[in-house]
Amino acid sequence: MTLLHKSNYGTLRNFTVLVVEDYGFMADLISSMLREFGIGKILIAENGEDAKDLIRFNASGSSDTKPMDIVLTDWLMPEVSGVELLKWIRSSEKDNIRFLPVVLLSAYTSEKVVSVARDNGANEAIVKPVSGKMLADRILHIVNHPRAFVKTPDFFGPDRRRKDKVYESEDRRKLTSQDVKTHNEQL
Amino acid sequence: MNSSDNKIELYNRVNRLKLKAGLSHTDPNAKLRIDPSTIDKADSIIEKKAEAYPVEVKRVLKVLDNNWAKAQSGDRQSVPMLMEKIYHNANQIKDLASTFNYPLMQHFGISLREFVEKIDINKGAHRTIVEAHIDVMWVVLNENVHDEGDERAQKLKSLVQKAINKYS
Repeated sequence: MTLLHKSNYGTLRNFTVLVVEDYGFMADLISSMLREFGIGKILIAENGEDAKDLIRFNASGSSDTKPMDIVLTDWLMPEVSGVELLKWIRSSEKDNIRFLPVVLLSAYTSEKVVSVARDNGANEAIVKPVSGKMLADRILHIVNHPRAFVKTPDFFGPDRRRKDKVYESEDRRKLTSQDVKTHNEQL
Repeated sequence: MNSSDNKIELYNRVNRLKLKAGLSHTDPNAKLRIDPSTIDKADSIIEKKAEAYPVEVKRVLKVLDNNWAKAQSGDRQSVPMLMEKIYHNANQIKDLASTFNYPLMQHFGISLREFVEKIDINKGAHRTIVEAHIDVMWVVLNENVHDEGDERAQKLKSLVQKAINKYS
């Protein structure tokens, strides 16, 4: 077993993660797994509307709330689906909502999930069944390899091309610096 | 739409999550790690919950059965809502079965979920197909048929497939 010196490798204890899952058994399972990683606060929403309320409330800046850090949402839910929740997040006017990292969990096949998740602005996708490694990998990827956000007339979300992947075919994007307006955030 | 509407905007954000993790947001070598032993512990939660599988599938199947009975006997207006519930019940069974590695139950969960998407409840043949799924899922649960590959599993799959081919 690898022994990690936790102080050098960061901690998840200050993180707040929202799990959106209509099926209580699965919500409980996923949140228990996340708790093992040391995530400080895990919130559960049983449906998309409750998730919106929680996200809005936590983004309001009130003294008794912590902003949400990562949203893990199931895709197939009654009324507001995970994809609809994702679209709502990405279309928010508030920066602390629209830039929220979102992981879409789905029971569909991987090709469909990856394509729909990517085209609607998800940061990561997980095809169920979930495993500890899968959850850990996606969280680590969000923290360690964040992608710039891109806004085009029909898309807002993380850059759909990952920097850590090599594309061998011709680059169809023929952009000049005049075509792109860059926002570099500073602390 | 003017030309500025077509402009692509790129947002390079400060990595607040790294800061929150207690790491430098500017140092590319500073990486968050998750202790592998905690990943093993997370996986062991699935193992611990595995004993709840038959109880939970039974509970969801009963709910599904009940929703199906209501869909057939209730007023027509409530049918779409009940069929959506059955769709999600089938998906819950699929999720349970895939999480705890019951491939045959997973197969029928997916099959029912997909069939419910295109069902016409007014067609008796379609109702027969849903009933075939429910009956077979009860058999799979009660007789603990685990794998897709064994002879019994093949028979059950063939039974439902024949109903789909014949009636859909």
